[in-house]
Amino acid sequence: MGLIAVTLAVPVLGALLLGLYEGDDRTSKIIALVASLGAFVGSIGLLVQFQVDDAQLQLTERLTWIPAIGADVALAIDGVSLVLILLTTFLTPLILLASWDAVSDRLRGYLAAFLLLETAVLGVFTATDLLLFYFFFEFSLVPMYLIIGIWGGAGRKYAAVKFFLYTLLGGFLMLLSILYLYGQTGSFAYSDVLELSLSATEQRWLFVGFLIAFAVKVPLFPVHTWLPDAHTEAPTGGSVFLAGILLKMGTFGLLRYALPFFPDATVEFAPWLLAISVVGILYGAIVALMQADIKRLIAYSSVSHMGFVVLGTFALTSTATSASVVQMVNHGLSTGALFLLIGFLYERRHTREIAAFGGLAKQVPIMAGLWLTVSLSSLALPGLNGFVGEFPILLGTFQVNRTAGVLATFGAVLAALYLLWAYQRMFHGPLETADNQNTSDLKAREIGVLVPLVVLIVAIGIYPKPLYDIVEPSVDRVLTQVAEGADAPTDDLATSEEDAS
Amino acid sequence: MSAALLGVVSPIMAQLAPVSIEWSAVAPELLPAAMALTLLLVAIARGREQIVTVPAAAIAIAVGAWLISTDVLVPGGVVIAVGLALPAAVFAFPGRQSMVQAFGAAAALVGALILTGWQYVTVLAPTAGTLVPQDAFAGSLANDGISFFTRLTVYLVALLVLPIGYGYLQERRINRAEVEPLLLLCVIGMVALGTANDLITMFVALEVLSIALYVLAGLARRDRRSQEASLKYFVLGSVASAILLYGMALTFVATGSLDLAGIGASVGLVTTPRVVAAIGLGLVTVGIGFKISLAPFHFWTPDVYQGSPTNITAFMAGATKAAGFAAVLRLYLVAFPALEALWVPILAGLAAVTMLYGAFVALVQSDVKRILAYSAITHGGYAVIGVVANSDAGLSATLWYLLTYAVGTLGAFGSVIALERRRQGEVTLKDLRGLGRTSPLLAGILSLSLLSLAGIPATAGFVGKLLVFQAGIASGLTWLVVIGVLSSVVAAFFYLRIAGTMFLEEPEGERGLPVVTTGLSLGVSVTATLVVYLGVYPQPFLQIAETAAALVR
Repeated sequence: MGLIAVTLAVPVLGALLLGLYEGDDRTSKIIALVASLGAFVGSIGLLVQFQVDDAQLQLTERLTWIPAIGADVALAIDGVSLVLILLTTFLTPLILLASWDAVSDRLRGYLAAFLLLETAVLGVFTATDLLLFYFFFEFSLVPMYLIIGIWGGAGRKYAAVKFFLYTLLGGFLMLLSILYLYGQTGSFAYSDVLELSLSATEQRWLFVGFLIAFAVKVPLFPVHTWLPDAHTEAPTGGSVFLAGILLKMGTFGLLRYALPFFPDATVEFAPWLLAISVVGILYGAIVALMQADIKRLIAYSSVSHMGFVVLGTFALTSTATSASVVQMVNHGLSTGALFLLIGFLYERRHTREIAAFGGLAKQVPIMAGLWLTVSLSSLALPGLNGFVGEFPILLGTFQVNRTAGVLATFGAVLAALYLLWAYQRMFHGPLETADNQNTSDLKAREIGVLVPLVVLIVAIGIYPKPLYDIVEPSVDRVLTQVAEGADAPTDDLATSEEDAS
Repeated sequence: MSAALLGVVSPIMAQLAPVSIEWSAVAPELLPAAMALTLLLVAIARGREQIVTVPAAAIAIAVGAWLISTDVLVPGGVVIAVGLALPAAVFAFPGRQSMVQAFGAAAALVGALILTGWQYVTVLAPTAGTLVPQDAFAGSLANDGISFFTRLTVYLVALLVLPIGYGYLQERRINRAEVEPLLLLCVIGMVALGTANDLITMFVALEVLSIALYVLAGLARRDRRSQEASLKYFVLGSVASAILLYGMALTFVATGSLDLAGIGASVGLVTTPRVVAAIGLGLVTVGIGFKISLAPFHFWTPDVYQGSPTNITAFMAGATKAAGFAAVLRLYLVAFPALEALWVPILAGLAAVTMLYGAFVALVQSDVKRILAYSAITHGGYAVIGVVANSDAGLSATLWYLLTYAVGTLGAFGSVIALERRRQGEVTLKDLRGLGRTSPLLAGILSLSLLSLAGIPATAGFVGKLLVFQAGIASGLTWLVVIGVLSSVVAAFFYLRIAGTMFLEEPEGERGLPVVTTGLSLGVSVTATLVVYLGVYPQPFLQIAETAAALVR
């Protein structure tokens, strides 16, 4: 077992320990925290071992799993996986710390669910075997379903079931595509599938199978409707994990699987996906403007922001696609931080109505300051991390499709509008109601959770180069694969020539 | 004493030695058969069980000793151990006859499982990785991959049903002496159906298992629903048997052959009007469709599954399906491959209807047993995908699917038993509210089984669906697999509804705790372990399934 496998195994072992050992709440929390920190240490180890100038999948590990059907536990990382692994292992301990006191009901189950979820997501980011990838991709549903369903808000049952069924349907359609590919190669290995040459028709259908699964996860308009419900009803930790990490499984999947596997279809569908992304960006932003519930507002802002990520991905230029990977990290940090702040506010006030707040900046200056910083990062203020992701995406899109670029820019403007307007309504104005006057400011633990996030937000905003250095070679590799695959003559032509002769 | 007995018996046995190859083909079945007979005698000798058990043990020791003397060590040891188990049980549980019965039956089934494994290693797959199919009794029985998987699934299910149902039968006061012998008889019928290689054997086996099941379904004599289930099953089952028999007769008319391989050889070149063979095939399809409850021949299933004592339902769902599909596989892949243009579209259509119908109707049910009954119908449809794939991969997939389905459904019904007994009746979704809080372990096992039935990764059901879908796609039945996928999502909704009721809702009122006996917790723990084991590391059994496609043709 190499370092990747160990990193994957640590959280699941923590979950097992939680399941077997009935300690008191404090012990359980410490077990969970230690396990998640263990995974973080592992991922730092991966960062150290990672060869930045190597664009290929590296640190490959392989254990036999089901030789009867040619599936292995094959793990490897490239730059894209690495940054997402770091994001995951960085956010998970913070999530556990953030809900340190918030959850007491069935605590061990809550902690174990997060650890299982962490392993599943890390598995998705590192698997280089399609069956293993699918295994983790679908397995992540179960803990997330439980987190939303058991520890969520009033409408949690509906939200949990909706989340589960949407993603399950998408996943099953991807399974069909995977099984078709398996029928062609006789193996689930990523590298074997890459070498397949598929006809244009095959590519179209298979691409759609993968696309639906990932589009639901991202979520892309119009299959986004599970997200506002899931986000709103999930407990704080669940929302942060969902927005910060889980959604990235979709965009990661597009980049790792859909693009290089089906280059013709990618090039063919790219304009359509740009269009869908733009619609999602604008739709998410406009709907976010109209929300009365702050958590729902941020949920719709996620639809809009993840639209930017897909936009960058399908611009298919080195600048835009690399930036979209960076933007995945940025969105994870800033939206994660926003959900944490909302959670802290909710714990104090037990309401998420924007109208219930007002003038809070005087009462809770630390929270207001952090809220403003994170909002500014989310709306892509230069100097903070959102800018260094969103701007190159727009730049790259302009080069490819000017209309999409112009329309997407409106989305960025609207983001400023809904985020600042919400901030203004909640934190400025007169401090009137008794509830608002009695709201207490953040405690040391809560500040401690947010500070690492804000530090990263500022650091990436000022000096994003290390992040781009890790990501860019891998993205270029994928784009080369797309370009070469799309240029190569397809099987359709070959067979028709044969028929003619 | 045994040495003297050996001296007398071994010359006689030596005379029988030439047929020993034949007997080895049914070796695992001989144990439950002998045990069924012994248990009936034990029941008659009420209060003085040792009159029966001691001579039975003596016979077992003699047979075992002879087997060992002819260097057949494992079966010899198993026979002796099982023979000794019964008097030991009488000694250990004095005056508790149903415990003795259950213990004896379990011992026989464990022995049968061991012999199945022994048979696989020594006879079926002498070199690892290849399977040598063989026939016995002049071709009326086949010993091959289908037989192996039927044995494995049926024996396993029956073995697990015994402890799971023990306390339940006690509490409902239906722990009568005939339960275990009938169960064993049923098991023998099922395995015989899985090994039958001619139409007559197949039909007789089907009747043996059906008649035993009719009685078992009506075990609760004072429960009207149980009586209704029994009668309904009997009447409709008999009609189905008649139709099946008629179909078999027409097939014989058309081909002049009763054994499946012979039919397979001649059905393509029949000289009688082809339509006779086609009608025969059609009637066989209808008859067997009843038995494996394919829509639209499924309508007995919900009532029978709901009304029967739940342990019998669990047994029916897991084991009958495995045996029925063994016959289906043999009929279509060995006897009728030449008519594939005829039956593949028909069966594929039935599978599509079955998957969708079962999933959608289950949505509106509130009785948990009924939901699981409709789920059983749906799963029949998935298993058919492997049959209509009409390939080696499809055959392996179906066999494997039935095993994964059996462990999942057994866990689900087993957990329902724990809830049902305290209420002496139906279990509705309401009764499950908040079970995740009051008894998290039971709720967890039930949820795990349901996730397996839904086909979520890390459970056996996922690997089952994976293989079946793969076989379907490889044979170009993508449309059918797409329907399978859609119905899986619909089915996931109602599985999730059960799981959600347990974990996402709060317990209401004073409903009392479920009663979990030692046997039940042992049984469902084993199924839960199997669900995870077969889901995470399926390699060993999958390897066997991959080679199972070698058939006696």
